[in-house]
Order: sequence, then C-alpha cells, then structure tokens
Amino acid sequence: MAELVFDDVTITYHPPGRDPVEAVKGVSLTVPAGGSLGVAGESGSGKSTLAMAVLRLLPRSATLTGRVSVGGHDVQDLSWGKLRALRWSEASIVFQGAMHSLNPVRRVGEQIVEALELHVKDDYATEKAREQRMRDLLAQVDLDRSKETSFPHELSGGQRQRVMIAMALACDPDLVIADEPTTALDVIVQDQVLRILRKLVAERGIALLFISHDLSVLASTCDRIAVMRDGVVVEEGPSHEVVTNPTHDYTATLARAFPTIGDPTSRLRPATRVVEEAAPADDPAQGGIPVAPQANPDERPILAADNVTVRFHTRAGTVTAVDDVSLQCRTGEIVALVGQSGSGKTTLARTLLGLHRADSGRVLFDGAPLPASPKELRPFRRSVQLVLQDPSSALNPRHSIYEAVAEGIRIHHLPGDERERVERALDQAELRPAAQFTSALPHELSGGQRQRVVIAGALALEPRFLVADEPVASLDASVRGEILGLMLRLKRRLGLGALVITHDLGLAWNIADRVLVMYRGAIVEEGTVEQVLLDPQHDYTKKLLAAVPQLA
Amino acid sequence: MTSAPRSSSRATSATSARRRAAAGRVWREFRSSRSGLVGLVVLLVIVLLAILAPVLAPARLLDVTQIDNPINHPPTWSLPLGTDPSGRSVLVTLLWGARVSLLVGVVATLLSMVIGTVVGMAVGHYSGWGAAVLMRVVDFFLVLPSLVLAIVLSAVLARGVWTIILAIGVTSWASTARLVRSQTLTIESRPYIERAWALGAGHRTVIGRHVLPAVLPLVLANTTLTVGSAIIAESTLSFLGLGDTTKPSWGSMLKVALDSGAATGGFWWFVLPPGLAIVVVVLCFTLVGRALESVINPTLRGR
Repeated sequence: MAELVFDDVTITYHPPGRDPVEAVKGVSLTVPAGGSLGVAGESGSGKSTLAMAVLRLLPRSATLTGRVSVGGHDVQDLSWGKLRALRWSEASIVFQGAMHSLNPVRRVGEQIVEALELHVKDDYATEKAREQRMRDLLAQVDLDRSKETSFPHELSGGQRQRVMIAMALACDPDLVIADEPTTALDVIVQDQVLRILRKLVAERGIALLFISHDLSVLASTCDRIAVMRDGVVVEEGPSHEVVTNPTHDYTATLARAFPTIGDPTSRLRPATRVVEEAAPADDPAQGGIPVAPQANPDERPILAADNVTVRFHTRAGTVTAVDDVSLQCRTGEIVALVGQSGSGKTTLARTLLGLHRADSGRVLFDGAPLPASPKELRPFRRSVQLVLQDPSSALNPRHSIYEAVAEGIRIHHLPGDERERVERALDQAELRPAAQFTSALPHELSGGQRQRVVIAGALALEPRFLVADEPVASLDASVRGEILGLMLRLKRRLGLGALVITHDLGLAWNIADRVLVMYRGAIVEEGTVEQVLLDPQHDYTKKLLAAVPQLA
Repeated sequence: MTSAPRSSSRATSATSARRRAAAGRVWREFRSSRSGLVGLVVLLVIVLLAILAPVLAPARLLDVTQIDNPINHPPTWSLPLGTDPSGRSVLVTLLWGARVSLLVGVVATLLSMVIGTVVGMAVGHYSGWGAAVLMRVVDFFLVLPSLVLAIVLSAVLARGVWTIILAIGVTSWASTARLVRSQTLTIESRPYIERAWALGAGHRTVIGRHVLPAVLPLVLANTTLTVGSAIIAESTLSFLGLGDTTKPSWGSMLKVALDSGAATGGFWWFVLPPGLAIVVVVLCFTLVGRALESVINPTLRGR
C-alpha cells in the first residue's frame, strides 16, 4: 500500500536564456492508499508537471522544493535502483499521448510482455505466465485478443490508450497516475476506462492520481477533487461538493464548460469564460439564442451522400468503414455526426470532402456528383471547407498567421486586396484586432486562437459549408465553449452550414440542429437534437447517452 | 488598384524580415558550436587562398619550362614545401590544386543535391507506378558501386574537370534522394497538408509551399557533409589518372607522387601536403555540416 503525499511542493523550470517559470507553487495534497484524487485544470496549470514529479521524471532544467513522498519514502532521496523499482512496479503512469508513448515498430502484445520482463515479479516468471497475464490485461481493458499482434499504428486512438492502460496495470502497481488518460477517447471507451480505474481503486485498493480538464470525468471516478490554476490549488474537497457547490469562480467555469444533456439553459448556448459576453439573448447578431432560423428542409442540400460505401484493404482483410450511408446537409444548419472512435465518421467526412474515393455510391455537391479532376473540383473546394481536430498540427509551423489565412486566397486567385480579405476573415473568426495577429507564428498563439486561425483560413474563401472534424476535442474546456459559440454565430451571421464530427454528445446538444448517430459505418439514428438525445430509439444511442459522465 | 501590390509587398517585407530573423537565429546557434566555427574559419581561409592563387603564385610558376628549381628538393626557406619531381614548388601546386579540388567538390555536390532533392520529393509526394519505378532507380544507384560507375563515366566521356564533376554528381545523389523522400513522407502526413488539399491546393502548392521549405534545411546540412566525400572522390579519380592532367589537383599530386616514386623514395614533403590538405578540408566541411545539423535538429545537441 502506498500513500502519495505532496508537501508544499514548488517546481520551477529554468529554460536556458529565459526567466525561470514557477509551474507549481506551494502545492500540498494527499492521496491516501486506496483513495483517489482528481486534479482538474487547463493546459498550463501545472497539473502534468505535478504528476511527473512523483516518478522524478521532470527534465533537468526543473528544480523542486518541498517533499514528494510515495509510501513514506521521499522520492528525491531514492537511489537510482530504488527509483527504478518504484517506477512501474509500485507506481505507474498513463500518459495522454498514447501514440507517442508506444514503440511504433513492435507489436503491442510484445510491449506489454516487455514491461513484465523488465520488472519480473515471481508471479509471472515464465514466458507462458507472462503471455497469459498479457491476455488477461488486454481482456481487462476490453481489447480483442487478435489485437495483441497489431502494431500501434493499426489501432485507433482509443485502442492505443487502452494498451497503455494495460501496460500501466501490468505489474500490479499500488499507485497509478493517469494524466488525461481519456481525453482522446470517445464516451463509451472513456466509460469503460473509468470503470476499470474505479474497480481497481475499489477492489485492489490502489491509490489513483487522476488528472483531467473535465470535471465530470473526475467526479465520476475520484473521491476528492483538487482544482489547479496557474500552479496553485484554488479549491480542494470531496468530489460531490466541488462540482455541485463550487466555492471558487474558476471551478464554476470549469463545471459549466460541459453541458448537461437535456438542460435547456445550455441548448444552443455553449458556455464561455465570461458569461455576459456571449449570452446577450436579446441581440440576434451575437447569437446564442434558442430561436435559431431553421434550414428549409425543401431546399436542395449543398452536400449529400447517396448510398456511399468505403472499404479499406488491410492485412487482416477488407474493412467496411462506411456502409451504405446517405445523408443531406444544408446551409444554415449544423448537423452533428456522433459515434465512437472507429465508427467511420472521419472516413465519411474525408469522402464527403473528396479527399477519399467512395467504393460505391455518390457524393453530391449542389445536386451534381463530385467531379474527379482537380480543376473541376475548384468551385467545390471553395464552397466546402475543412476544420481539423488539432489546430497546432493543422497549421504549418513555418507560416505566419497571415500566410496561413492567405493560402486559400492565393490558391483560388480571389480578386481584390489580399490583406483586406485576410483581415476580414480573421475578424469574422473573432481574432480582434486582426492586424495584431497577422505576423505571429502559430506557436505564439494559444490553442483556441489557433483553431480560430484555421476557421479564418476557411472563412477567407467565403464558403457555404464547413466540415469540422472534432473541432474542440483538443482544446481546453473554457475555450471549447468559445469556439462552439463562434460556429453558432457564423451560422447566424453568414448562413454557414456545418457538419460537425464528434464523439461528444454535449457538443451536439450545445450547437447542433440535427444529429446523425453512426455505428460501425452505418447511420443508425437520425433526427433533430431533441428527438435523438432526449428520446433515443436505437440501443446504441441509448448506450452512448448512458456513458456520458454526469456532474452530479 | 494601387493598394493590392502595396499590401502584398508589405506582406513580402514582413516575410523577408522574418526570414532574416530566422537566418540570424541560425547564425547565433551555429556560433555557439565552437568546432563548427573553427571549421568555418579554416574553410574560409582555404577558399580565400584558392581564389587568390593567381595573385599569390602566378601561373608561370607551374610551367616546367619557365622554372629552374632543383627537382625533389626538401623544404627550404625559399621553397617552404620543397619541390616535386618536375621541379615545381609543392606549395604553389597545392594552392592551384585547391582550386580544382574545391570546385569539383562543391559543384559535384550541388549537382548531386539537386538531383537527389527533386527525385526524393517526387518519389515521396507522388504515388503510383511511376513513383515506384523511380524508387527502384534510386535503389539501383544506391547499391551500384559508385566509384566503378564514376570510373566508367570518366573513361567514356571526354577528359576534364567537368567530366569528373558529372561522374561524381550522378553517382552520389541516391542517398540524398532517400533522405529527402523520408522527410517528404513525414511532412505529408501532417494535418496541415490535408488542410491544404481541402483548401484546393494542387501539387505545385503543396510541394512548393509546404514540402520544399521543410526539406531544404535538411538538404543544406547534408550538402556540407557531402562536399567532403565529393572531394575524396575527386582525389580518387585523379589519383587513378582519370582527371584533367593539365590542371593540378590534390588527387593528381598524389598520383604524380606515386608514379615518380616519391612515395617510396622517402620524399615525404611531396606526399604529405596534398594528403593533409584533403584531410583538413574534409574535416572542416564535416565540422560545419555537423554544427548546421545540430542547429536544424536540436535533439542532436550534446551528442
């Protein structure tokens, strides 16, 4: 049994050539053996730095004062050998970026066995025992046995994250540190992972330090929650109390960021950092009003799929990613396409955009089939734009904001003053004053600002429709509401339609007019948001809704 | 109408200002590598000496009919590196040899880099049977003993410096192509390339605006590293008697040393200088290349 104690911990980074940065300031927290503590906070709040300190994984440029102890031993005083023994076999860590934490050239089964080999415990001394253990672990995280011979790139993000969790559990640790383990996962897998972690805490009595930006995830998993901001713990207490009765404004903001499905106050009104700014309900230009103009169902759809099927040919055989899907999208309407990872929603989006070829069926743009030649595709490319999930990788790091936004204008040789068009697009994406951003490079902006730049790059072409693939999945909770609010306002002001692909049902509740539920490549349920989310008919939709973590 | 060009020139000047700032940053980081700086300084001195060779040592000093030095004479104050079997001053020959060796090294490398970059980007960017065939061509050049091919080429074509350059250039580009191809593949898997496609970009935009700028720093670092091996290749070909016999190069000096028995006769002053010159220049290029590489790829620092 291991108790984790942070006693007045301050961690300072000393980047070469710059002023030292205090990432964690005087934090005192305790995770009792068999207990669980959730740490909430946005990027830059120092919560990951805190997690790294437990296993002494901080870079050399960081200094730590105060005391971090695991099971009564001060981590700073441990010898190298003792520290190695502590890492993994007593305390293990699940990182958020599963793609980068797995070895890309080895099969995942081997990598789990490797963790067992490196920290041999008497229980798994033989190869056979280790393989058996590996299969048990995969079963625990609900991965099919056939996946053990897969390479990481052959698995979806959620599957990779489950492999990481299986590895972390491999040596029966007493303390598990989970750093945003479910952030990239869809609700169903997230629910499974949370169940596993809850079970481990309850049955085996491990101590859990759980880091997340999503209070509802923490509330459903942890006994206590600590909220961090700028390196300081602003609030700490029993989970239920923190989320239902927050004493600090910041906690309240975090709690509001994810809507409760069915709550009319959040319908078509995503939460923003400053409430007054985005919800003047009587000003139609500001959006966020329930009385949104409905798209005319008789209008010809701008983008439609007509019995589209897409297959992939892999080593394991043919996979049907999109199975006979038909859908219609109109301008002035936001359609949410929900489903868990691997349901084929991204493939469907790529096919709708003409980036992937359908094996059968047709994609219709303005009623005509999508042309094949790049030249004939130009008008389509101008009218239908893509917004990607991760804004930091969707912008060329070498290009200034000006160049990123002007890229489409140059490609399409739009007439008129380029700078004027760029500044207008930035202004429409609510990056104001636009001139202040043009010369900046993407890494100088925050995640939310970067996503606005991506949206501005799309708006510069005066499109009629946006396809957004998880537009807020990699953004902080408070920024999430702002980007969603922006999309709503664009719909109102410019009549822009959007197909939003997401695994987040709360997002659909926040902004969408219609919802399509996709399961194993097929659309299983379709209707208005209220119909589908409040009165689901299909079993899968019910399952999705049941898996959404609730605050209270 | 007047505003459009002005604003685009404003954008260009902002871009060029950033390029200048980036170049300044590269230079500051390069300067922090002492070995790279030493290599650069020595290299600049050698290049300067090679350029000034006609001034420092007029061409007539190489004309056997116009000099009256003793042959195979050990170093003295007036002939600091002694004389060769024809009575020419070794120092003068070395200076003039630097011109040929550096010219061949640099131009052959440029040729090899251009071929390698174009082919590498084409193979990485396009898919289909054309790219597959081109890739096999790259593999062919990769496994081909390049020295043998270079010998054949310089034997078939007319003798001269440019033949040597061509022979080295067309035999050494394959590894660059491989390198550029893998970098191209890395860049093209980034989401911003997908964004560019969705914006309606064609092949030219994707390659010109995104792939080439990302590949160039790598090519630059690779260039300085390849110059060294091109100089060695030139020396090898000259040593084998395939070079231009009318112009001295460091390789042909070594060949003369072997042919005239200087190497076995104990005339060390004729054998060592060209050999050491090759070593120093190649080392300098390598030092500069390594320093550039670590500027581009900071993870290599301290290795």
